Amino acid sequence: MLAMTLQPVSFDLLEGAIQWLVVFGGFAATFLAVAVATSIPIHGKSGPGRVLRGALRGVIDVFTVSPRRVYAIAMLAFKESVRRKALLVFVVFAALFMFAGWFMEADEARPDLHLMNLVAFVFRAMAWLVLPVVVLMSCWGLPEDIRLRSLHTVVTKPVRRSEVVLGRMLGFSAIGTVIIALMAAVGYGWILRHVPDDVSLFCRVPVYGNMSFLDRQGNPGKGVNVGDLDTTRSFIEGGTKATAVWQFPLNQESDELTIESRFEAFRTWKGDMERSLRVRLTAVNEQASLQVPVATYEVNEFSYNEIAISRSVKVTDEQTLEESTVDVFKDLAVPFDPNNETHQQLDGNASAGVLTIHAQCIDRGQYIGLSSGDCFLRLADRSFAVGYFKATVGLWLECVLMVVIAVTASCFVKFPVAFMLTSAVGLVGSMAYSFLLEIVTGQQRGGGALESVYRILLHMNESMALPQNAFTKAIVAFDKPLVEGLGIMRHVIPDLSVYSMSDWLAKGFDVPWNGMLLPGIAMTFAYLLPCVLLGNFSLRLRELEAK
Amino acid sequence: MSTFNSRQRKTASVVGILVLLIPIVLLGMPASGRDSGGGGMLAQLRSEHDLGESDLGQIDPTSSTMSFVLLGMRGIAVNMLHLQIDDYKTRKEWALMRSTTEAAITLQPHYIAVWRYLGWNLSWNVSAEWDAVPDRYFWVKEGGKFYQRGTRRNDTVPELTYETGRVWGQKIGMSDEWRYFREYFKTDPDSRTFPNGVDADINPNQLDNYLVAKEWFEESNTREENRTQHIMARTLFRSQAARSQLSYADALQRDVRFITASRFRDDAASDEEAEEKAYAARQGNFALARQEWGEGFREWTERFGQEEFQVVGLAKQVLFRLEADEDDVRELAERQKDLGITEREIRTAIDSYQKMVNYNYWRTRSQAEADESTGTSEAHRLVYEGELKLRSGNPEEARDMLVRGMARFAQLIEDYPDLRDEDLTVEEAVWCVLLWTKTLELLGEQVPATFPLKSTWDKYQGLLPELQLRYSRGD
Repeated sequence: MLAMTLQPVSFDLLEGAIQWLVVFGGFAATFLAVAVATSIPIHGKSGPGRVLRGALRGVIDVFTVSPRRVYAIAMLAFKESVRRKALLVFVVFAALFMFAGWFMEADEARPDLHLMNLVAFVFRAMAWLVLPVVVLMSCWGLPEDIRLRSLHTVVTKPVRRSEVVLGRMLGFSAIGTVIIALMAAVGYGWILRHVPDDVSLFCRVPVYGNMSFLDRQGNPGKGVNVGDLDTTRSFIEGGTKATAVWQFPLNQESDELTIESRFEAFRTWKGDMERSLRVRLTAVNEQASLQVPVATYEVNEFSYNEIAISRSVKVTDEQTLEESTVDVFKDLAVPFDPNNETHQQLDGNASAGVLTIHAQCIDRGQYIGLSSGDCFLRLADRSFAVGYFKATVGLWLECVLMVVIAVTASCFVKFPVAFMLTSAVGLVGSMAYSFLLEIVTGQQRGGGALESVYRILLHMNESMALPQNAFTKAIVAFDKPLVEGLGIMRHVIPDLSVYSMSDWLAKGFDVPWNGMLLPGIAMTFAYLLPCVLLGNFSLRLRELEAK
Repeated sequence: MSTFNSRQRKTASVVGILVLLIPIVLLGMPASGRDSGGGGMLAQLRSEHDLGESDLGQIDPTSSTMSFVLLGMRGIAVNMLHLQIDDYKTRKEWALMRSTTEAAITLQPHYIAVWRYLGWNLSWNVSAEWDAVPDRYFWVKEGGKFYQRGTRRNDTVPELTYETGRVWGQKIGMSDEWRYFREYFKTDPDSRTFPNGVDADINPNQLDNYLVAKEWFEESNTREENRTQHIMARTLFRSQAARSQLSYADALQRDVRFITASRFRDDAASDEEAEEKAYAARQGNFALARQEWGEGFREWTERFGQEEFQVVGLAKQVLFRLEADEDDVRELAERQKDLGITEREIRTAIDSYQKMVNYNYWRTRSQAEADESTGTSEAHRLVYEGELKLRSGNPEEARDMLVRGMARFAQLIEDYPDLRDEDLTVEEAVWCVLLWTKTLELLGEQVPATFPLKSTWDKYQGLLPELQLRYSRGD
């Protein structure tokens, strides 16, 4: 029994790389320009040349690191973490898992919901324990070395600053890796022990399609909003031509196709209460004017319906009443057309063609709610362990990213400030990134920081217009550059939701490569180079004698 | 620069700690266990105001541990949890919403408003989001069970026993899905979890939902005697147990419509036998309903009606009973004459509070329904069986039954004039006459100039369009 559907996510690596280059290039150029400009009053005409030479040396430093020295520093960071009792986190972890059962009473009637809670708990516990510990260690490492002057013994050796930064990042990532690996192994065993006997563990492998709507007259349009606050789903009216249309890429021919749907029912009148609302799925080949009903079934709400479609489907001609057989792959699917706009948008291999499925509600006056991820082709299931491993990799990638940010921060500020900075980035990235986007894009009503305070004090809700006077104009003027500043920061703060791969596992799905893993890996690596560069320059400029 | 050396500073710290320990020990000394009045000041205050865990209800070590571990952050934690619950509800993430509800209540086990709000959320809001009736029932039960746990954790609080009764009584018995819910309450639809159909947590004896609700309302009344409830006027609150009995009798009468031959077809040798069994079962239900109306009348007038209440919010605290004749009023006035309370004030109080709980209506209705000499129960039976005969193509038998039914209704209105214009009585009386006119149409007979219930029929012609529609639909 699953709740709302996960939505397919597509990620274009090339597009992401271009965007990364633009943002990284923009920031680098800005820093360089500011450095050049400030160098002139200090060093005169030779200033720009010194800045450019220094920048070039820094970049060369990063690209000519010695793996042996990086490894030595990484091992130093690793041993230092062990010495500082980082592994004591296991004690808390063990205590949590010993008593977790007290809070997680198995629901006899809905054991599948229980599995969802178990998975969510394991990954939440790991994240909440591992991330603060590695961030703390990473922020603490360099400032502590500087304070104790132990860094002097390192920097007097032929070690580059970039190697110190990279070595630290690797060392703390390694300790994070060990902790996550052990916790994940314990967590896996714990889930197996607590999962109810009648729940089978597996991961669905979905193939999502493109979705569009036909309105009640059968024209291209959109679904209806029935008043739900959550607008993930749109609704189609029963007994009309309102239709949800999916186009699925077929990667290979087989004897049977499995379609899984998880629609929502909405009644405008009581109707027949002894059964749920009904949906009809029809396979459509518009080119051949062929429409073949493939299934009619009652919606199993907040759960799923699994429909098996045989490769050969019997069809009765409504006019001649003659029976014939159509082949799903040869007669119903159409060949992939690279010039077709909707085919271009398909995410997946369509070598065996593109299958169009229409979903309609049969019950007049009632509505069925659907979203893009509510209907998918289901390939052979994968093992739960595979999905679990991928979700763990997601957490590990997040851990590495936080280490990278924390070590970078510790290169230019002291421990408490570095910790607060990294925590702030982590909290905003994981809990408030969508809120940040809403503020920046103007979707969030109620204005900026000062305007919000003003509204709270005067008990004005966000939909009320601000009175027009000099004071409110000053408030708005004050907020404007802050919001614009946030607009720039959105490119710097990582959206950590890409790492929440355990959500897929908890809902019984395999973690998709293109939708989740690839963006996660790309995100971590995207931060690595700029952070190493920034750390390198910061450490070169930092006065190591200072305590 | 301190002039003390390290040892002196340490000694001073230890002395300071010891000095501070004295008031802490005195304040926080635990109670002896045998004598609840013993212990330190905090233990005494806790005992005096019934604030100890053991005074409040069942002890849950998990909850205490969590509260302790969170130190002063409990308020922040529960705020976040409540926001999460709301978010999960909006996104229809029911599993997460349910588990977060548990987390919130673990941290706030004695916050009654939280129990009430979250239980309501499950029974009313979440259940309505599901389409399949068994799924809806599951969530209604989740809310009811949640309240039941609340009653154990807070075993002196009347509000939670009341809310539990409300779920098992009103939610099960009066929802749109009441017909199914009432059946499910006796035989759970989840045969995998409850193979014999008994959900022992809520209804181990497979009783009617209203009878289970009555037990919970009776428990509420017991608790309310020692602790004030903050939901509604006291008279209304204490009327619920007796009202459940009346609702039970009413529901038995309503259920008759669903006792059809199809229910007995599997156990009967022929269709005729199934019909006979259905007829006998309906007869039994009508008889049981009459008996339960009688019980309801006794509970309404002899238990609830005899309870003494006080007028609240006025300068004079007038003591009164809802079931009171002139002698009772004089006796009450005599008892309160020292307070300057008059018979007139008592009569005013009785009248006002009777109106509040619709006392006289339920008194008359239950009395009339239980009255064998008037034959109200028989009137209901004749109208319903007459309708069945009419619909099954037996207009002559139907006409005879309906004529007898009309006579019984006329008798009822004569014996109980208060019911002459009461909605349900009028509707059933007009329905009876309408069915009778239909039989006459089929038999080719004219409607006579006079007939029993003619005055009611003439007066309430406005009801006819809706009843005609009901007849056409075959409801």
